[in-house]
Amino acid sequence: MEALTLLQWIFDTLTGLGLWWLAWRALASPQLFRAVVLFVAFGLLMALAWVRLDAPDIALAEVAIGAGLTGALLLAALARLTAAEKAQNVADQSGKRKYTVRTSRWLPAALLSVVAAGLAYSVLSFPPSSAGLSVEVAANLDISGVSNPVTAVLLNFRGYDTLLEMLVLLLALLGVWSLGGLSPPRAAPAGLVLDTLTRVLTPVLILVAAYLLWVGGHAPGGAFQAGSVLAAAGVLLLLAGWRPHPGMTQLPLRLVVVAGPGLFLVAALFTIVMGRHLLEYPPERARILIVILETAAALSIGTTLAALFLGERPRDKERP
Amino acid sequence: MGVAVATVPWGVILIILPLLGALACFLWPTAVRSLGLVTMFAVVLSVAGLAARLITTGAYRHTVGGWGAPLGIELFADGLSLLMLAATAVVGFAISIYSTGYFQARQLARFWPLWLFLLAALNALFLSADIFNLYVTLELTGLAAVALTTLSGGRDALIAAMRYLLATLLGSLSYLLGVALIYHSFGSVDIAILAQRVASSPAVWSALALMSAGLALKTALFPLHFWLPPAHASAPAPVSAVLSALVVKASFYILLRLWIEVFPTGRGALAELFGLLGVAAILWGGLQALRATRLKLLIANSTVMQVGYLFLAFPLAVPTAWRGALYLLLSHAFAKAAMFLAAGNIIRFAGHDRIADLDRIAQRLPLTLAAFALAGVSIMGLPPSGGFVAKWLMVAASLNSGQWWWALALILGSLLAAAYVFKVIGHAFTQAEVLHASKRVPAVMEWTALALASAAILLGLIALWPLTWMEIGGPFPGISAR
Amino acid sequence: MSPAIFYALVGVGLFCLGLYALIVRAHLLRKILAINVMGSGAFLVLAALAKRTANAAPDPVPHAMVITGIVVAVSATAFALMLMSKVAAETGQAVLPDGRSE
Repeated sequence: MEALTLLQWIFDTLTGLGLWWLAWRALASPQLFRAVVLFVAFGLLMALAWVRLDAPDIALAEVAIGAGLTGALLLAALARLTAAEKAQNVADQSGKRKYTVRTSRWLPAALLSVVAAGLAYSVLSFPPSSAGLSVEVAANLDISGVSNPVTAVLLNFRGYDTLLEMLVLLLALLGVWSLGGLSPPRAAPAGLVLDTLTRVLTPVLILVAAYLLWVGGHAPGGAFQAGSVLAAAGVLLLLAGWRPHPGMTQLPLRLVVVAGPGLFLVAALFTIVMGRHLLEYPPERARILIVILETAAALSIGTTLAALFLGERPRDKERP
Repeated sequence: MGVAVATVPWGVILIILPLLGALACFLWPTAVRSLGLVTMFAVVLSVAGLAARLITTGAYRHTVGGWGAPLGIELFADGLSLLMLAATAVVGFAISIYSTGYFQARQLARFWPLWLFLLAALNALFLSADIFNLYVTLELTGLAAVALTTLSGGRDALIAAMRYLLATLLGSLSYLLGVALIYHSFGSVDIAILAQRVASSPAVWSALALMSAGLALKTALFPLHFWLPPAHASAPAPVSAVLSALVVKASFYILLRLWIEVFPTGRGALAELFGLLGVAAILWGGLQALRATRLKLLIANSTVMQVGYLFLAFPLAVPTAWRGALYLLLSHAFAKAAMFLAAGNIIRFAGHDRIADLDRIAQRLPLTLAAFALAGVSIMGLPPSGGFVAKWLMVAASLNSGQWWWALALILGSLLAAAYVFKVIGHAFTQAEVLHASKRVPAVMEWTALALASAAILLGLIALWPLTWMEIGGPFPGISAR
Repeated sequence: MSPAIFYALVGVGLFCLGLYALIVRAHLLRKILAINVMGSGAFLVLAALAKRTANAAPDPVPHAMVITGIVVAVSATAFALMLMSKVAAETGQAVLPDGRSE
């Protein structure tokens, strides 16, 4: 038992220090590309930390969304920056003055050290064990419709938060589209490797997404993880040069993107019209409702994230 | 009828309706104008319904999902929420009508979904009783606000929007860390439950500091106000109006709720700090407004100044001071929105908003200047206006509680406000050196600006009703508990 | 020191490190990275302390909150990156002008 605890301690220390080191290197690295790659590595190490903290649902979401999709978005944005726009780095190296604020760097460093010390003291003052809301969740889990407690919280107990969060995602897409979008990163024609990989992986990714969606009811997984795997398939297709049929980019695309939050809103409206509380599922229908809502959510999330990666506002005939 | 009013979940309707409207506008861009205006009108009616319900049956609580706190999320409305919701609905409705004249058809299709999202987010924020849910609504509000700021494109707007986005994300993350510390200290994120369980500890102190800093950044309290003047000045006029009138008040509302409910003990030093920063904001905002050469920048700096007034209520802490601050919030929402809309009219008319070149606007756009002048009366705090009632209450509170120095700040602020308002009005009567060609301003734009400004004055005449309704549910300490 | 408290301290460090970089670095892409690091730090604090349940499964409510937070963070990041690209296209540099880096 001693050896195991020691091993756990070594693992934790390495992970914690590794997280700090990767974050510092990512933020301080002079080359932007290296910074982004280090950030993706940081996300992967975070996922390991989540597994260590018994949070496999978060680990899946972190890998898919935090490291994977965020990394893809960062690289796409980096590719759009011309050399001149990245040249801030050149000034960084030679002229320190352009790199920082007018005040010295010591002031923020000193202030933040004080803040960090205060926060660390607060964290250390927490009692070593505390049940939080796990008791209430466990007590109500059987009538929630699923047996994975995190899914129960996300889709039932605090489903209202999930509705708002899906709307945040849709709003980000609206914001990107209203900015007018930029042309996607100039892509070389897909080579043989990318082409073959896409053809092989896309159906696999769709299957994995469907599995994650189904298994989320009783094991780690769920709509967000499934949606992000679908988005990964979408990103792969976009990178390989695939574009949706022009007829699909107006109303059909908008309908798919809206389907997740829209269905949630319709369910909310139903519950109100039936005289129940907002989003109060009838217990006998809870399971099927959650399955339907999660499927729509996964589709919407996948499509929205892929559309965010593309960045381009869909052209239509009337408006240039 | 009474039974119908009392059982309809108006709060839920206030959130769901604009969301459905936003999705509908997104799916059918050609019908945005009718969809949008119908939705806004329905929102105004729903607020009236909620008001009727609150007046008859007292504070309103709705358990989402049927799961009570601490497991689920609860919606809550009392007099304070009603005040914010009513301001949002009425000012929002007026700005919506204005924007139908302001934007061209192509821009309207992008404006309406974002606009309705913003309104839904604000409603959800004012009705939420759960501090993590408040984080999500804060993010929704911030993203919608930034997206609206970028709507007219243009270099200045994009740069200002980027700065605004970074500031708002920083504020939200600081708030979230505070939520984390609070949850793990007391095992709940519901405000009512936290009010019972809260006790002093290092974690609570840290959470108070983090959440106050984050929310003060989002409310643009000096010295964290740097992002506001460029953002509010370069956004399209209706967007500037909603940003100054409502969006900065949303984070103030959350700060107020937390202050009163969750952090009731031992915050004397922080209250004094808020007061000092408020005075600094009044002086800084007023001076920057005087120095401004562009009208929208002047109005934006005026917002920085008025936010400073709001924070004076923290050291005063008596119910009269809270009432005064909230009445100021309400009047300022109407007056500042009217000012920005009037500035939008001037820009449409003359093609620019340089104050020195306001060529005889008084004769050529009389309605717009009347709107600006009436709004200025409320901003200055002259009778009869909402601003006067608010300042009167706050000065009375400061003198009664023996902290007379805050009254000095209030009076000094009024003098500064008078200076910059009269500066604009003075230039509006004079002929400019270089004459510019002018474009027609749609009547709807002029009349909505005037309507909002008149409402700010009206608030001075009918002060009794809003002040009474504010007290429903006893939001302030020292008054009968909920 | 339990793993929960340890990882929460790591989270505090990440939050402060990200905040330092946000204030000090001028390039917008770095600022966006800094915001993400801060977010990860806050999420660590939120979910690590959930593991303090004695021997039972950890508290699932903070886990759900963190998943919500991750989705919100990616939405904000996507929008911020597009805005940055637009600013860079307009001004030729991905830096907020007038020398201030906040």
